[in-house]
Amino acid sequence: MANVNVVINGIAGSVPAGTTVLEAARQLHVDIPTLCDHPAIQPIGACRMCLVEIEKQRTLQPACTFPVSEGIVVKTDTPATMNARRFVLQLLFSERNHFCMFCQMSGSCELQTQAYKHGLDSWRYDRAFPVLPLDATRQYFIMDHNRCILCRRCIRACDQLVGNATLGLKHRGANTMIIADMDVPFGESSCISCGTCLQVCPTGALIDRASAYLGATAEVKRVKSTCTHCSIGCGTELVMRDDRVIRIEGDWTAEPNHGLICEMGRFQPLNDKRAPVTKPMVKEADGWHETSLQAALERVATNLKTGKVTTVVSGLATNEAAQIIAKRFPGAKQLMEGQAPAVTSSPLKDMDAADLFIVVNTDVAHEYPVASFAIKRSVHLRGARLYLVGDTGDSMQPWTSRSIQEAQIDALLPIIEGAQNPVIICGKKGEALAMKIAKVVTGIKIVDLAPAGNTMGLVQAGIRQQFSANGFDTCYILAAEAQDAPQELLEACAQAKFTAVQASYKQPWMDIAQVILPTPVSHLKCGTFVNFEGKTGVVNAAAACNANGEAQVLEQLANLL
Amino acid sequence: MAKVSVCMNWLDACAGCEMSFLDIDERIVELLKHVDLLSTPITDLKHPPVGGCDVGILSGAVSDSHQEEVALEMRERCKILIALGDCAVTGGICTMRNFFPLQSVLNRAYVESESNAPGQKVPNAPEIAKLHQQVKAVDQIVKVDIYLPGCPPPADAIWYVLTELLAGRTPVLTDKVLTYD
Repeated sequence: MANVNVVINGIAGSVPAGTTVLEAARQLHVDIPTLCDHPAIQPIGACRMCLVEIEKQRTLQPACTFPVSEGIVVKTDTPATMNARRFVLQLLFSERNHFCMFCQMSGSCELQTQAYKHGLDSWRYDRAFPVLPLDATRQYFIMDHNRCILCRRCIRACDQLVGNATLGLKHRGANTMIIADMDVPFGESSCISCGTCLQVCPTGALIDRASAYLGATAEVKRVKSTCTHCSIGCGTELVMRDDRVIRIEGDWTAEPNHGLICEMGRFQPLNDKRAPVTKPMVKEADGWHETSLQAALERVATNLKTGKVTTVVSGLATNEAAQIIAKRFPGAKQLMEGQAPAVTSSPLKDMDAADLFIVVNTDVAHEYPVASFAIKRSVHLRGARLYLVGDTGDSMQPWTSRSIQEAQIDALLPIIEGAQNPVIICGKKGEALAMKIAKVVTGIKIVDLAPAGNTMGLVQAGIRQQFSANGFDTCYILAAEAQDAPQELLEACAQAKFTAVQASYKQPWMDIAQVILPTPVSHLKCGTFVNFEGKTGVVNAAAACNANGEAQVLEQLANLL
Repeated sequence: MAKVSVCMNWLDACAGCEMSFLDIDERIVELLKHVDLLSTPITDLKHPPVGGCDVGILSGAVSDSHQEEVALEMRERCKILIALGDCAVTGGICTMRNFFPLQSVLNRAYVESESNAPGQKVPNAPEIAKLHQQVKAVDQIVKVDIYLPGCPPPADAIWYVLTELLAGRTPVLTDKVLTYD
């Protein structure tokens, strides 16, 4: 689109026609205060904080929704705009409970920041003190309507980014309330607890139970990392205070997720209630005992040197750990969760251009939630169609045009051929059928997701075989925080002469192992991962990269072999 | 030049603002060269002189009939009234009870509380001040000239406001001296 000339606060510039005044101002490095605006979602002009003077306009206009036109002259910091913004803030503070001194968001709140910026030293209007509910029906975060300023960021994030469209409004004016579905408790709604609304909320209306009151913006540092709980490998920001991770957020600047993460990546790691492995443990005749790392490593090394050894590695392990195992460990090396995709996968970003999705034999909403967000928003906002083939679970049903059995696939082929940009989404179980479809429909894209976070990295390191009980009598398992060990593995280890496990949590390993070595969980370790697209992500819990990290323990063990 | 006369009092307050005032530390010596502290809640004289004073400082919200009288008296007798702290400025933490009916607040405190002996009643002796239905900020009762929010306001903010006034300027709070918590 052609560029137009704009003048903002006397600064001349040229921006594409159709740009909003707010975007144009940002390009010219002019700061316009905002509250309801968020870079990742569409502006709606709800809060009126960004009111500016525009020549030839009768009244002040919201910068976030007003498109520039040729020769537009804007002033952002006149007495009229400042007074209007103070008026807006005065109204916001008078409506609900915006007393900072007992709010967990104080110090991180955008409403508070704007009030400071505008020198609000008192409140002009009487307060309404409406009695509003607090919804604590969700496991990980709370909705306190008393702190809500009705900016609707949560609604727009749920709608436009996640495509889940759980949130909405009821009533009008000051009585407006954020609701879930047809006004049911949030915990009983279609909410999938991805926490995107929590991440975009500018005030204390959405409260993270785990990190509330643990640290305001100035007291925490943010460390960029990568989520390893599925093979999408979302970019995250670890919010840390005193070297402890208090919260995990999505990184807005990261490919492939652009700020989104899911329940599995945001909440579960910090709410894991399983008993952790804190010290090296050995099993003696009278039960389990804690021991020194050196003693435990020596016992493992003695067994690895003599037995028929197999090492089983979880996809939660880093590349660095995998390389040590691949190069320096004896015997066979196997993948705990299964093999890498046989197909070179299309990147996740191709899904946002698709007009037809075929999900094959994969429960995408549970196994790869962030990929399911791309499907949901495409169906919800762009009118793309979704077909489910085979065993796909039922979470995607509301977005689905049709579910079919694998045997009926031929009926689907004409529909796929008629689409402009069809994309197949599958995991290991759907791969064969996906390849069959790709043979018929040329040019179709396949997003083939690996079975575990770092399966691709393990394969690159040289660990390629899927686990199978190959008659080993000695087993080393790098389990990290894996929850679902294959039954076959547990049974084989129970039969084996010796099993050592490097794990973050005690179970189920205490039932089958003779030695358990501690290892940090994903958000506390350092190293690199490779996602399903083949991109390398850095896992970096800065302060937690200690001497006894995952790869360091393996290095010490390898030195004894 | 004659010293500036200052009177202080507290309403529905926790004394945190007064602690913060004392946190100006040794600067209080410098302050007292320019200021006469006539009445405060922690000195012998509790009431501002009938003849009036230059500056009145009130902390705390207005929650009952007694506090309202204190606020009215201070306003009547001072030229410049400072609302010190969030409770005086906005009602602050005291307004938590505004989300509940007054009777249920009293019952909760005097009757239902786990630590109360059975059969307790809400006291209603005539000499006890009557709680207002709603807790209010000082400026909802009397005119306030200078607002100094904060819970409590930082000592530097209190120092800044007093020294600006002594210099004959109207203090304008920004940056580090403007805080709500």
